[in-house]
Amino acid sequence: MRSWLKMLKELTVRPKVKRIRKSPSYSFDEELNKPLSGQTVREILAKSSDIVFRDFFLQGKERIPCLLAAIDGMVDKNQLDQYILKPLLVDLAGHPEMAQLTIANVLDKTIQSILPGLELKKISKMEEAINAILSGDAVIFFGESKEALVFGARGWANRGVAEPITESIVKGPREGFSETLRINTSLLRRKIKHPSLRMISLKLGGMTNTDVIVTYIENVAHPDIVSEVFRRLGTIKMDAMLGNGYIEEMIEDNPYSPFPQIAFTERPDVLAGKILEGKVGIIVDGTPIVLSVPATLTQFLNVNEDYYQRAMVAILSRSIRYLGAFIALLAPSIYIAVTTFHQEIIPTDLLISISASRQGVPLTALQEALAMLITLEILQEAGLRLPKPIGSTIGIVGALVIGDAAVKAGLISPLMVIIVGLTAIASYAIPTFDLGLAVRLIRFPFMILAGILGFFGISVGLYTLLIHLLTLRSFGVPYLSPIAPLRLRALLQDTIVRAPWWALKRRPQLIDVEEPQAGRKGKG
Amino acid sequence: MERVSPHQFMTLGAGVLMGGTFLLLASGVTIASGRDGWMTVLPGFTVGIPYALMVFSLLEQYPRKNLLQISEILFGKWIGKIIGLVYILTTGYYGGLLLALLGDIFERSIMPLTPLWVFYLGGLVLAIYLAGSGIEVFARFSEVVFPVVVIALILSVALAIPRIEQGELLPILDEGLKPLFRGVLKVMPFAMEYILFLAGISTFLPTGKQELGQLRTEVWRAIFLVGILNMLVVLIQILVFGPEETIRLANGILVLGKMVEVSRTVSGVESLFMGVWLGAMVIKMSAFLFMVSWGIETVFSLKGLKWNFVVGVVFLGIALGFTRGPYMLRELSVTESYLMFPFASLWIPLLWGVARWKKGAGV
Repeated sequence: MRSWLKMLKELTVRPKVKRIRKSPSYSFDEELNKPLSGQTVREILAKSSDIVFRDFFLQGKERIPCLLAAIDGMVDKNQLDQYILKPLLVDLAGHPEMAQLTIANVLDKTIQSILPGLELKKISKMEEAINAILSGDAVIFFGESKEALVFGARGWANRGVAEPITESIVKGPREGFSETLRINTSLLRRKIKHPSLRMISLKLGGMTNTDVIVTYIENVAHPDIVSEVFRRLGTIKMDAMLGNGYIEEMIEDNPYSPFPQIAFTERPDVLAGKILEGKVGIIVDGTPIVLSVPATLTQFLNVNEDYYQRAMVAILSRSIRYLGAFIALLAPSIYIAVTTFHQEIIPTDLLISISASRQGVPLTALQEALAMLITLEILQEAGLRLPKPIGSTIGIVGALVIGDAAVKAGLISPLMVIIVGLTAIASYAIPTFDLGLAVRLIRFPFMILAGILGFFGISVGLYTLLIHLLTLRSFGVPYLSPIAPLRLRALLQDTIVRAPWWALKRRPQLIDVEEPQAGRKGKG
Repeated sequence: MERVSPHQFMTLGAGVLMGGTFLLLASGVTIASGRDGWMTVLPGFTVGIPYALMVFSLLEQYPRKNLLQISEILFGKWIGKIIGLVYILTTGYYGGLLLALLGDIFERSIMPLTPLWVFYLGGLVLAIYLAGSGIEVFARFSEVVFPVVVIALILSVALAIPRIEQGELLPILDEGLKPLFRGVLKVMPFAMEYILFLAGISTFLPTGKQELGQLRTEVWRAIFLVGILNMLVVLIQILVFGPEETIRLANGILVLGKMVEVSRTVSGVESLFMGVWLGAMVIKMSAFLFMVSWGIETVFSLKGLKWNFVVGVVFLGIALGFTRGPYMLRELSVTESYLMFPFASLWIPLLWGVARWKKGAGV
């Protein structure tokens, strides 16, 4: 019994920051602490068939045995041939510079006057050498020297810069992030050409050694938020770091909330916009999804196209999205409450029409709605991962065939089909997938509350939801900001309203003001 | 340490002051002052202003302390504890009655077949959740909900305008000024409830000179805003129903909601408004839950979520133990007028006076 409870606790309670999972310890660690030498590296890595070792000699003042180590497929072989092997073995053989080489000076001489590569670095630790090789660089070991040379020649197959699938827009740039870290950083750098843009590298994942870059603009991002990001990332101790989702769950404020507390994007322009607002980006190697913190609820209802359209169009689009979110969350509940408890709200003519449509339906409004929405969820889940042509077939079969058959069989009222259809369409108006999932999830408790307690139940549910949202914070920033705490400028500048660009003279007031604000009227 | 900004203080104070007053006031002031009852609402609320200024004066002198702690400093430990005990009992009892009122209103207006305890439980869950989330979240909750209550009240009043009966207000002051004083006395206890809340929340307020100035302004704003809104609510009820019917209806604002019809598609939006009124009542009830918790913390040094639950159970016990309808309303009125009003109106000036005297005497 106790072990069951312990297991349940482990699965449901996130450990405090200091105790997040035990740091893995490997016997491999001992080898990493050995003195740097080509032979040891060969011993550690030789068992893998994709590691390439190339032995050669340099003839200087003395004969220097060299070893080049790299991973086949991760390193650009042309660069190795052209900028390392060819100059050392062919072009400069017998050159006066080469004639002066000894074990003691080979590294410095090679870097200063022999090799032409841009990314040349001297290292002296075994761990650095292993990491460099495993990350796709080439490392050259010179005889018994305790130092080695890293040559940056990463080059592997990637899918290049393509249009993001999850964030397609009509008017705006088409490029999206890819799985390669350096491509992603370059895409961001192209957007923000300013020396204050910081890109700080980290490695996460005990086994995967995944490269992670924390990016922000110095003096724009709040220093407390930046240091909090590093603190939280520093607490992550796990073997695998295969994508952004791992980081997201480990660093978000409230892991039990259905609401997303960390924003993500596939678009460099979106990330650049967020960074310029003072947020911090987290780019993880191997995924095209880039995280940004802190995040507030209203930002999940904004899309980057709002900033490329005229202000009036953006305001209209945003208002529709808010309305869509409201319908997606509450339309079935309101229908259930009205038909079950509050018929007085409907004028007589309409009431008779609704009543006629429900004639002979054996299920209560709540049962009808639950059955329909669960079917809808199954259809959505089924269609999501199928190939596109089959996916659309599922949609047609679900919507037309099953819906129509259910109505004809007298199991479901036609009005309920309209309500569920409206709810489904409205939920697609929510631009962020994570927020859409949250709305889908909390729609069910609302329906049950409406079925049991009518509008009283919906009201209790809404206030509970409101209190929950008010308690949420993302990296110290209240989740409902700028609505509560009220930041009037931010609310009128870039929330439901998107002020014209000429009116956006100051940075958004989301994270630059600590709460409570001691300034005038408490609004900053 | 949690803090409340001046703007949040305004919306929170206004939310607490408003509470469910718009549901009860019209009947009360019309009994006392007849068709001129609407004139008494604003003056009745403004009585709270000098008391609030006294609280801020004490806050300036004793920053980061609530009035119960200041009482212990100024009157001595035991007298301070006795005052704290009275504070706990008064606010605890009234909080329970508010819960009873919430259930009663929902049962009588839109859901007569639902058991009362369901409404009690719903209200209590929200109040305990808010109290457990802390004063900052409570302040933000009012920041969101109070404007919605204001909009709903304005809508209620505006949608009833077509039903105004010309002449219901006339003749003005036909019984002279004397009934107006009785009406003001009916309103004053509501202002005192707000002052009792201020007495507890003062720990969380900023104490800088400039900020205190802002807080004073926000008190004026809150009191005038709530006073004017309530005055409009009373006025529209007298204009639509006439004085006799306003007295008989007790919760006339709910009937106004029932009478709404928009273009033959939406009618009787009372149940929609009830959702908003629930928010207003939750603010007030949570405020009383907070007050009891602050009292318990100061007097007995007990704090934590479990004590909120204990207070919640007491609220529930009081609500379940009370007979509904007119008896419950009478008990509410008696508690406001003969318990909270005298307590607050004596305690605060006395405390302020002693503090001034001690400051002057250099004690």
